[in-house]
Amino acid sequence: MKIAVLIKQVPDLVEGLEIDASGKALDQDSLRYIISEADDHALEQALLIRERTGASVDVFALDVGEARDSLTTALAKGAERVTLVAAGLEAAPGSHALAELFAGVLRPQNFDLILTGVRAIDDLDGSLGGLLAGLLELPYVGLIRKVETGPGGETAIVQKEFPGGFITELEVKLPAVLGIQSAEQPPRYVPVSRLRQVMKTAKIGEQAVEPPQAQPIAVERLFKPEEGAGASMLEGTPEELAKQIAGLLAERHLLKG
Amino acid sequence: MMPTLIRFGPVPGWAILWVVFLAAAGIFAWRVTTLIRLLLLGRYENRFDRIPQRIWRVVVYILGQRRMLEEPLIGLPHLLIFYGFLMFLLSTNSMLLSGLLPFLHLPTVDENRFLAPVVDVFGVLVLAGLAVSSFRRFILRPAGLQRTIDATIVNSLIASLMVTFLLAEAFRSVGAGAALKGASTQESVWAPFGNWLAGVFSGYPALVVHATGLYYFFWWVHILTVLGFLVYLPYSKHLHLLAAPFSVFFSRLEHPGMLRPGVLLEGGMGAGRLNELTWRQLLAAFACAECGRCERACPSFQVGEPCSPRQLVHNLKMQLFLCGKVMMSGVPASKLDKETCLLEGLIPRNELWTCTTCRACANRCPVFNEHLSITIDLRRRLVERGELDKRLEEALRNLGRYGNSFGQSERKRAIWTQGLDFKPKDARKQPVQWLWYLGEYNCYHPALHPVTRSLARILQAAEVDYGILYEAERNSGNDTRRVGEEGLFEMLRERNTAVLRAADFKDLFTMDPHVYNTLKNEYPELNHGRHRILHHTELLAGMFQQGRLKAARRLSYGVTYHDPCYLGRYNGVYEPPRAVLKALGLKVKEMPRSRSFSFCCGGGGGRVWMEETGEAHSRPSESRVREAAALDGVQVLVVACPKDHVMFSEAVKTAGLEGKLAVKDLTELVAEAI
Ligand code: HEM
Ligand code: SF4
Ligand code: SF4
Repeated sequence: MKIAVLIKQVPDLVEGLEIDASGKALDQDSLRYIISEADDHALEQALLIRERTGASVDVFALDVGEARDSLTTALAKGAERVTLVAAGLEAAPGSHALAELFAGVLRPQNFDLILTGVRAIDDLDGSLGGLLAGLLELPYVGLIRKVETGPGGETAIVQKEFPGGFITELEVKLPAVLGIQSAEQPPRYVPVSRLRQVMKTAKIGEQAVEPPQAQPIAVERLFKPEEGAGASMLEGTPEELAKQIAGLLAERHLLKG
Repeated sequence: MMPTLIRFGPVPGWAILWVVFLAAAGIFAWRVTTLIRLLLLGRYENRFDRIPQRIWRVVVYILGQRRMLEEPLIGLPHLLIFYGFLMFLLSTNSMLLSGLLPFLHLPTVDENRFLAPVVDVFGVLVLAGLAVSSFRRFILRPAGLQRTIDATIVNSLIASLMVTFLLAEAFRSVGAGAALKGASTQESVWAPFGNWLAGVFSGYPALVVHATGLYYFFWWVHILTVLGFLVYLPYSKHLHLLAAPFSVFFSRLEHPGMLRPGVLLEGGMGAGRLNELTWRQLLAAFACAECGRCERACPSFQVGEPCSPRQLVHNLKMQLFLCGKVMMSGVPASKLDKETCLLEGLIPRNELWTCTTCRACANRCPVFNEHLSITIDLRRRLVERGELDKRLEEALRNLGRYGNSFGQSERKRAIWTQGLDFKPKDARKQPVQWLWYLGEYNCYHPALHPVTRSLARILQAAEVDYGILYEAERNSGNDTRRVGEEGLFEMLRERNTAVLRAADFKDLFTMDPHVYNTLKNEYPELNHGRHRILHHTELLAGMFQQGRLKAARRLSYGVTYHDPCYLGRYNGVYEPPRAVLKALGLKVKEMPRSRSFSFCCGGGGGRVWMEETGEAHSRPSESRVREAAALDGVQVLVVACPKDHVMFSEAVKTAGLEGKLAVKDLTELVAEAI
C-alpha cells in the first residue's frame, strides 16, 4: 500500500503576526512558519498505518517557509520519501490552486491513500482534501479521527465525529483522499539527536511545478478587528442611572428637541 | 597443642581443615570470578585515573567511614564492626594458617603481646556494635531498612565468630593454666576479656577438667564459621564489605554538576540493557548494603511517588543475577531476550520519571553509588524511543523550537523589563562587565517578573555595568539534559555558546541555580576560567562585602533559608546567601534539613514539565513549607531559585499556610532594605 501525506506550512501564532506594507498579506520578515497542526496529525496517522501494515509513506510539501525542516522531521519520524514541491512561491496560494498543484504531482503516482489535514488556519477557499479529491476523481471524507485499512488494502475503515457526541464508522473504497482532524495518538516526538543524524543524510526530493494560474479570488485587505472604545459601567440607583443616561445621550446630541 | 593435631578417627584434624578450607576458598574464588565477569558485561569506563585522589577517598569514606557516621546510631556500631572485622582478619588468618600447618608452630596473634589484647577488646566491641545495630534494625526499624533473613544471618554469624573466639581464647588459657598446675592463668598475654572469662571458668572444676577439649571445640567452631562466612558472603548483601572499598575507589571524581555525556550506542542513546551500562554503574549492585539512606533522603519517595533509589539499585542487582549468566554465555546482544533489557525488565518507567535529580541519594550513599547516572541513562533511551509523557514532549518541542519550555516567542524574552524605568544594556551590542543570563523562568514566568525586576533595580542602584542577551538567550539546557534529551541539550548549548562567544563581557551571573550549574560545569567554552560564573547570591554577597551595597534599614522578619539543590548540593554554595541575609541584619533560623541535607522542592530534573503520577499523597514542596512554618518565629521562607519561588508559593496556598508564611527571593529582601 502506498500512502501520500500532504503537509503545509502555516504562520506560527506564537510569534506576533504583523501585516505588511501592502495591507494584504502578513509581513514575511516577522513571520515564522510551522507545520499545520492537522497535517502533523495526518502524518502521524499515516505512520501508524505504516507500522500496522508495512505501507510506504511519501510526504509532499509546497516549498514555502520552513518546509524543508518539516520534511526532515517527517523522515526522522519514519517516512520513506519526502518531496519538496517547488513552484517558486513565497507564500501558500489558496486551496484551489494548491489542489491543482498537488493533483499534478500525485496523479501519475497511483497512491492508494492520500492523507492531509482537514483544514489549516490560513485556508482561504475551503479545504484542500475535497478539492484535490475532485480533481483526481477520488472519494473524499473529512474530519477523520481514525483510519484502519480493510482486508487486502481494498478499503479503509475510518471514524468520523459528528456533533452531538456521535461517531460514525465509514468504509471508503481505495484509492481515496482523507481529511484528518486528529490521529489516533498525538504526533510523536523526535529526539534531536535522531533529527540531526537524519539531517546529515537526508535526501529531500524536489519536483518543480508550474506556478498556479491567476486565481478568481484575491485578498483585498488584511486587518486586525478594529477595537471599540470599550464599554463603561454606570452605577447608582435607577433614578440616578436614568439621569446619567439622559445626560450621556444629550452630550452625544442624540436627543431631539 | 594445635587443635588440628587431634584426630577424628583415623583422620588428622589438619587434613579435614585442608579439605574444608580448599572447598570454601574454591567456592569463594569461583563466586568472585563470576561477579567480576558480570561486571565486565558493562561498557568500559575509565576509572583508573587520579589514583592519589581515589586512595584519599578510600581513606576518608572507608577507613574513616564518614558517610556512615552521618547516622551515628548505626555509624558508630558499624565503625566498631568494621575495625573489629579488620582485626579479626589478621587474627583469624593466623589461626587458619597455623591450623593448616600445625607442624610449623607458626606464631599466632593470640600469643602476640601487642596484638592479642587488641583483638580481644575488639571481640567485645564488635558484640556491642552488633547489639546496637540489631536493636536499631529489629526494634527501632528505621524506614528503608528491611528486616531480611540476610541481615539476621550475618549478624548472627558475626556474633558467633566473636563468641567462639572469646571462648576458645578463655578455655585455651584455662587449659594451659591447668596443665602448668598452679602457674598463673594470666602469665601468657594480657587479654582482658579472655582472661576475665578464664578467671570465671577456673572457678568451675568441671570446666577446668575439660578446658582443653572445650578450647578445641570452640576453635573448630570459630574456624568453620569463618569458612562458612567466606562462602556465604559473596552470595548475600554483605557482598558490600568486599565491593564497597572498590566502589568508593572507583567512584566518580568529576564535578557532580557535570553529567556524563550521553553516548550513542548501537542500540541508541543512553542505556536500555544491562550491557549498555558501564561496569561502574553495574558495580553499584554489588556495593549496595541496602542501608536505605538514599531512600530516606529521597523527596519523591517520601511523598509516595513510585521512586526509590534503593529499589533502583536493588532491581539492577536482581536483573544482573537473573540475566547475567545468559549474557555471559556470549549470545550476541541482538539475540538476547527481552529480559536482559532493563526497561522491559524490572525497572518501572515511573521510577525513572519521578526522580527530581536532586542528588540527595548520591550525596548520602556510603558506597558512592551513582543512582542518577543510571536513571538518566535509562531516561535517555526512553526519550530516544519516544516513550515519554505528552506534557514533557510538549515542553521539549517548545524548547527545540522556541528555546523555552513555555512555548513563548523568543521576542518576548525581555517582557519582564516592562515596568522598569530604564532599559538594561544589550550585551550583544555593547561591551559589559557582567552578563546577566536570565534563564527562562525569570524571563517568562509572570509571578517572577517582580523578583527579576527587583534585581535589575538593585544593580542599577549600585551602578553595576551589566547587560542581557534579549531574545538571543535560550534555555541553558540543564533540565533538558537531565530529562534525557541529550541531543536537544547539545543543540541548545551550541546556540547559546555561539551567542555568548559573540558577546563582549567579563563575567556572568544568573538567578537560576539550574542555569548556574550547567553554565558553570557543562559549557566547556565558558569553563576554562575565561569567565567567572556566579549565582546572584554570590554577586550580592560580594557587593555587600565590598560596601557597594548597604542596608539602609533593618528588616525585622524571622527568616529561614532553603538551599536549592543545584546551588547547594551540586555546587556547594551555602554561605553567600546566608552572608547576604546577615548583612541585612537578619538572623537565619535553620530548618532541620538544611545545607547538603536540604529537601528538594520537587521541581527539578524536568519534573515541572511532567504530568503528576497521581500516586503521591502530597508534594515535596508542601512538606518543605510545613517544615519552614514549624520553626518558631519564622514568617519568611527565603529562596534563591525561581523554581523554588513558584513551587513554594503554590505550596503555601495548598498547605493552608497563607498569612503565616511568605515566600521571598533573597533579592526582594535586599531591595526592601537598601
Ligand atoms: C568496607 C567498608 C564498608 C562499608 C562502606 C560498609 C557499609 C555498610 C552499610 C551502608 C550498611 C548498612 C547499615 C545501615 O546504615 O543501616 C552496612 C551494614 C552492615 N555492615 Fe558494612 N560496610 C563496610 C564494611 C563492612 C565490614 C568489613 C563489615 C564486617 C563484617 C561490615 C558489616 C556490616 C553489618 C553487619 C551490617 C548490618 C548492620 C545492620 O544490621 O544494620 N561492613 N555496612
Ligand atoms: S536524585 Fe533525588 S529524587 Fe532522584 S532518586 Fe535521588 S533522592 Fe530521589
Ligand atoms: S544505594 Fe547506597 S544509600 Fe542506597 S541503600 Fe544502597 S548503599 Fe544505601
